[in-house]
Amino acid sequence: MRDSSVPAIVLAAGEGRRLAPLTHRRPKPMVPVANRPLLEHVVSAIAEAGVDRIVLVVGHRQERIRTHFGDGDAWNVAIEYVEQPTRLGTAHAVAQAEGAVDGPFLVLNGDRIVDADLIRQVRERLLAEGGPVVSVTPSDRPSDYGVVTLDGDRVASIEEKPHAAASSSLINAGVYGFAPAIFDAIRETPQEAGELGIPTTLARAVETGSISAVRYRGTWLDVSHLWDLLYVTAATIEGGDGVDRTGVHESAVLAADIVLGDNARVGPNATIGGATALGDNVTVESNAVVANAVVLPDAVIESGAVVRDAVVGENAHVGANATIAGGPASVVVENEVHDDVEFGGVIGDTAHVGGGATVEPGTIVGDGVDIAGGASVRGRFETDAVVRRG
Amino acid sequence: MCGIFGYVGMESAGPIVYRGLETLEYRGYDSAGIALREDGSDTLSVAKRAGEVSALSVPDESASTCAIGHTRWSTHGPPTDANAHPHTDCADSVAVVHNGIVENHEELAEELADHTFTSETDTEVIPHLLEAAFDENASEEPLDGSTSRTDGGSATDGVSSRVATELRRGVESVTDRLEGSYAVAAVHTGADCIVATRQESPLVVGHGEDASYLASDVPALVEHTREVTYLEDGDIAVLQAGEVSIYRDGERVEPTRSTIDWDADAAQKGGYEHYMRKEIHEQPTALRQTLGSRVDVNAGTASLDVDFPKGYLESLEEIQLLAMGTSYYAGQYAATLFESLAGVRATPVMASEYTYTGGRDPWRTLSVAVTQSGETADTLGALREAGAAGARTLGVTNTLGSSVTREADDALFIRAGPEIGVAATKTFASQVSTLALLAIAIGRERGELSAAEARSHLEDLTGLPGAIQQVLDEEARIRETAHEYADSDAFFFVGREYGHPVALEGALKLKEISYDHAEGFAAGELKHGPLALVTDQTPVLAVLTEGSRPQETLNNVAEVQARGAPTIGVTSDDVAASSLTETFDVPDAGIFEPLVANVYFQLFAYHVANAKGRSIDKPRNLAKSVTVE
Repeated sequence: MRDSSVPAIVLAAGEGRRLAPLTHRRPKPMVPVANRPLLEHVVSAIAEAGVDRIVLVVGHRQERIRTHFGDGDAWNVAIEYVEQPTRLGTAHAVAQAEGAVDGPFLVLNGDRIVDADLIRQVRERLLAEGGPVVSVTPSDRPSDYGVVTLDGDRVASIEEKPHAAASSSLINAGVYGFAPAIFDAIRETPQEAGELGIPTTLARAVETGSISAVRYRGTWLDVSHLWDLLYVTAATIEGGDGVDRTGVHESAVLAADIVLGDNARVGPNATIGGATALGDNVTVESNAVVANAVVLPDAVIESGAVVRDAVVGENAHVGANATIAGGPASVVVENEVHDDVEFGGVIGDTAHVGGGATVEPGTIVGDGVDIAGGASVRGRFETDAVVRRG
Repeated sequence: MCGIFGYVGMESAGPIVYRGLETLEYRGYDSAGIALREDGSDTLSVAKRAGEVSALSVPDESASTCAIGHTRWSTHGPPTDANAHPHTDCADSVAVVHNGIVENHEELAEELADHTFTSETDTEVIPHLLEAAFDENASEEPLDGSTSRTDGGSATDGVSSRVATELRRGVESVTDRLEGSYAVAAVHTGADCIVATRQESPLVVGHGEDASYLASDVPALVEHTREVTYLEDGDIAVLQAGEVSIYRDGERVEPTRSTIDWDADAAQKGGYEHYMRKEIHEQPTALRQTLGSRVDVNAGTASLDVDFPKGYLESLEEIQLLAMGTSYYAGQYAATLFESLAGVRATPVMASEYTYTGGRDPWRTLSVAVTQSGETADTLGALREAGAAGARTLGVTNTLGSSVTREADDALFIRAGPEIGVAATKTFASQVSTLALLAIAIGRERGELSAAEARSHLEDLTGLPGAIQQVLDEEARIRETAHEYADSDAFFFVGREYGHPVALEGALKLKEISYDHAEGFAAGELKHGPLALVTDQTPVLAVLTEGSRPQETLNNVAEVQARGAPTIGVTSDDVAASSLTETFDVPDAGIFEPLVANVYFQLFAYHVANAKGRSIDKPRNLAKSVTVE
């Protein structure tokens, strides 16, 4: 069913600092999952739900988004763009699109993968009740998100990333339905800490019990951290359909649950293990082993290299016999220590890892970093750093 | 060059044709017009005027389901309301749109002394000749449009209306008399159809479910249908709702239909203020398509769908690259590639200056016509001359079904996707890369290039999409530099070797869209004259990458620095260029680094022009592809 009266505003201006260095050259919504940007999964779900008009709120590195989505014809939706010049929170982002909507509308995050079904349910509720509508989904880690408690089908409270134990396992799923009145509410809400989030805007409506909640138990995938990219990719690759072996040498071994981009090349005796996505124009040379990995377009994995549990950025080079062994690691992100994550590391866009180098688990190699051949590295390397053999 | 669009179907034709004209506007935009035909009306509704399509108001004829439209690029007669197409006969019962030139129009007009001409165009003779043809028929056998509609279909020609048959025969007899190049579409009050034909000008028929379309170019059709027929010279097409009959030498034929596999949104401005900026950003994607399945790094070869006769490449003595504008600079880049990678003498020639002379052995000469549109008249002319002299010809183009693909012995596609901005950007990168693959293939075949050397160049080529993306990521900095120098008196671009054609192309881009004075030079040429132009108000942009002999060029850069000129250099790792005012880096890409450097020049030109508020996609006085000599 098509309902052209309800457009969707999709928030795609986020910088995604926690996903650095991948977000230095692309906005978070353009980080690829199974060779399709996060945002493309969102746009596809919106189109599948029968929405035919999308307003993308863009900012950081917006050219990547505009180049990829154009007018939206490939997804059979009309896409328009509005710019959020300064990053002042999700409510501020929604406010940028005020001129582009004149009736009830949906709001989605451009970096959360959801099913079309959730979008349909929120729209139905919005059309029936007029909004605001919030969606909730159960989570294992509610304290990382906005924790929601319900009173029947009304929202009783929303608490952003509570420090104390979460009072509910339900979290804000980030798909909303609003009437234009929300724009007044945004204007009337005081800004906290320079940023204005949608939940803050809704605080008064929570008090009056006027927010309707849609319960949802389906695909809900978020990429908060670099290592999430690995499991989200694994969860998204269907596998089993058979892989097109054009560009793959006959002696190469491919697992069933992988995706190969256009013109990806795999050399003799190379092995591509499961849960792996190789982007467009990626080259994996002879005898290399790539498993449980996300390799972005144009990257080159040279002969004999091993890349496991890792993310390799766009146009990055992993030299011959270099090793990213993978396995558990402790990773520090924005002053928070994450212990025992299964993460071989990330090689930033355009970075070079020299031949025979060893990248210890959990290493974050920034974009443009140059690691000398034979070096052994661990920790974090900032953009364009040069690592000599010590 | 002009754009033609036609629709006949079940829906209101005016808005559909108007949209089609907007899409075709890059083909010419000094005048626009539309003719709508409605059942039962004995005149056509024609609206036309000088100016862009947006200035045209389509007559409110919502019942009309058959219309033709035109967006004009003046060749005969200035852009005025009267000279805009469609043109009609004296009774307003026939309307014609035309792209091309009727060379013998004066002679034909003399024969039509009793007709009233209202424009200064070569085109207007066509509707009057059609009127005359109808009159001649009418004098033999009275013809009544309203009754003829009921006379049912004749099984032999599939055209239900007698008027339609008359119109088709009329067009057939009129085009017999026309000299020159043309794509023509005509409508008549008495028949619910469009009759179209072509001679050396492009025309594509689109097949819809219950509608038929006609356009000068495929991007205008993709939003309606992906099933098309490319008309051949002399074909006459009769378009009715959902049915198209094509006649060749008077016989009904069923030419093969083609399916367009482009992304529809690849033909739209999608998300950007200008096509040019969109197309600059599309270069990584375009290059991945260009290189596509053609590169086998392991084998050290490039496979292109061109079969040369056995022994031909070994015996080859010269490759000529015939092209104009940006394609010419791509040809110049390629000429050096052919000489160094394939060991064969190669000469770029401005196609408009081309003559087949100098005692060349035609059996040992390959003439390569490089044209994005495949319709560039100067280039096609040179190609014909080379072919007539006996040389083997190869067309290198972006456009399937274009004239060059039919006229050359072989065709090689650059696969860059549609390019709409008048200033060529992504097609330059794709042209050079395609020709590089050809140079590598020929070099291997001739034994001039070892597998190892070939592999190294192929690795550099497959690295280009990523390298160009890296440059695009630096757009903010080049924009800043462009804004800083936007108000300079003039801009000079210099480079050597592969950097020379890139310097010329950089200057061409800037002058095309910013209207500033910009010139490109071989770096060594500066001191032989152009240095006199250099002041502290004339920035000099230099290619200082691998493949452009940067150390030598730095000496020339020092000369301009001594005159106070700001210097903007595009460098790669090993070049010590610390004395420059601004430097921009390109990643390692071997002899293709100048091609990557060119992306900085494209962005520089774009941002200078944008800062000045220029009409970037449609620069004044220019058209996308130039189909007149």
